[in-house]
Amino acid sequence: MSLAAGPGRGGGTGRLPEDLELCIEKHVKYIQSLDTRKDELEYWLTEHLRLNGVYWGLTALHLLGRPDALPHRETIDFVLSCQHNNGGFGAAPGHDAHMLYTVSAVQILVTIDAVEELEKHGKGGKERVGEFIASLQNRDDGSFAGDEWGETDTRFLYGALNALSLLHLTSLIDTTKAVQYVQACSNFDGGYGVSPGAETHSGQIFTCLGALAIAGRLDLVDKDRLGGWLSERQLDNGGLNGRPEKLEDVCYSWWVGSSLAMIDRIHWIDGEKLGNFILQCQDIEMGGLSDRPGDAVDVFHTFFGVAGLSLLGYAGLEKVDPI
Amino acid sequence: MGKYSGSETWQDVVPIPQDDGGPNPLAAIAYTEDYSEAMSYLRAVMADNEKSERALSLTEDIIVMNPAHYTVWLYRADVFFALEKDPLQELDWLNKISLKYLKNYQIWHHRQLIMTKIPSIPPTELPFLAQMFEKDSKNYHVWSYRQWLVRHFSLWDDELPYLESLLEEDVRNNSAWNHRWFVVFSRYVDPSAGTGADAAAIKADPEIVAREMEYAKAKIRLAPQNQSPWNYLRGVVKKREGGLAVLRAFAEEFADLAREDEVRSSHALDLLADVYAAEKEEEQAGKALELLARKYDPIRKNYWNYRRGLLGLKEVEVE
Repeated sequence: MSLAAGPGRGGGTGRLPEDLELCIEKHVKYIQSLDTRKDELEYWLTEHLRLNGVYWGLTALHLLGRPDALPHRETIDFVLSCQHNNGGFGAAPGHDAHMLYTVSAVQILVTIDAVEELEKHGKGGKERVGEFIASLQNRDDGSFAGDEWGETDTRFLYGALNALSLLHLTSLIDTTKAVQYVQACSNFDGGYGVSPGAETHSGQIFTCLGALAIAGRLDLVDKDRLGGWLSERQLDNGGLNGRPEKLEDVCYSWWVGSSLAMIDRIHWIDGEKLGNFILQCQDIEMGGLSDRPGDAVDVFHTFFGVAGLSLLGYAGLEKVDPI
Repeated sequence: MGKYSGSETWQDVVPIPQDDGGPNPLAAIAYTEDYSEAMSYLRAVMADNEKSERALSLTEDIIVMNPAHYTVWLYRADVFFALEKDPLQELDWLNKISLKYLKNYQIWHHRQLIMTKIPSIPPTELPFLAQMFEKDSKNYHVWSYRQWLVRHFSLWDDELPYLESLLEEDVRNNSAWNHRWFVVFSRYVDPSAGTGADAAAIKADPEIVAREMEYAKAKIRLAPQNQSPWNYLRGVVKKREGGLAVLRAFAEEFADLAREDEVRSSHALDLLADVYAAEKEEEQAGKALELLARKYDPIRKNYWNYRRGLLGLKEVEVE
């Protein structure tokens, strides 16, 4: 799964918004083509994200209604080839085990119904993966590190809860402390940042809300206040930004949209305008979506654009779970 | 002959070529030879867990080619600490990489690790961060690092004048507003105590609250349609006893319901809707929300209508 940008660009169709539709077949072909681009330098320079890329591509294909568009056995083999003896996964073979890729590995295996492969062909069963994740929790403050070096980030905390709940292993961690840490990351504007005191950011709101949702503690959220801040992310062109006074970007269709959906307030933004903005980011010739019209497409924005449309109930797409 | 295969320093090392784990690995790979060669030597030294000068310079070489390769950074930190290298020199080198790769995560975590080896803040540190903010004054990684730095070296008192200069340059810089909150209010909160949500409700010194209210108001007057200082102002008011009503006259400067075509700030209307509702002036509150739904922020009409619903008022039709 190449994470290289291009080849095409989003937008520039010259069509009126009402004529735009999602080019499902083009996007499926685009994602399938990403594994054939190993002759490009960029393919190798983005190796440290490879497993994330597989997850994005695979999930986009599922939402596009084509769950079998990637080869099943090869996907499993690649995922398992990234596993370390400690149970964790690196981004690609030879890369250190890290929370982010371990979460992607679990998500991929669950999506294609292959968790038992961990037992059969992996380095120990799912419990070993769970133990790796649990070992990254700081038992004093509840936070999670990404790896042994201890960088903490609410992305890792959400990832841990997500993967462990998929594996039915949340009992391995101190969820109460994790919830307290999320609370410590809340800000005066109603949002959440990457760590206590850090600026509110839509991506971080997604991770914090997702963690609270998995922990069953969305009751701690002031939904009206947060929903107000999140809906304020919509700009006149329909797109969403991540922070005040920043540019719109297709990826926030997911971070903001799913956050609003988790607190039952997605109707607070103008779904039609957002849908049209996402559709304008398509390359309708070669497939793929970009961050905003005119920029190069990539698998990351293809996934987040498709997921955003799915949240909005776009016809022909599988319905995505916002958490 | 490659840079490494032709070098005397590396003669004893057998490089380990790429194996991408897929069904047809090596054949299709044609990525640039320099990167490929350096990576194969990295695999070899990592397999041996070699902590040496040459390993350090190899990581430098790879990072320059591909700074987001997290495994190389971790290995570099490992080697760096094992060799007890000079942290100031490492910072110097990091500065150059940071200015080139603005969106990189790994650089900042590495910098933090290095900084913990230095007993007091080097005089070059804040000028360097200022240089980073000249390139992007909202860089999330740099702000997060700066918060860590402020706490680590207890730099609280010197932050405000610098922040002032940033907000003078761009009053809409939400990151700078957040940092102001951090240095004014969060310094008294233990970040590990898990009190963040409740921290907002902890009352602060009335003198500081008054100062911060005046500060935010002055900045709003410069640009009334700027959401950051309005959010800040609301947050500050929660730090004192009494409700939002204290802001009534101020907000009315920007939104007089009797002159609905001359509203200068949707945020003022939003605030007034809350103030009027708290004062049991539902009709006024409803009017403010109607103006928002119909005229000043129609893209969020469902939100404003929801707020009207909370007051028992019917929805506003927006075409």
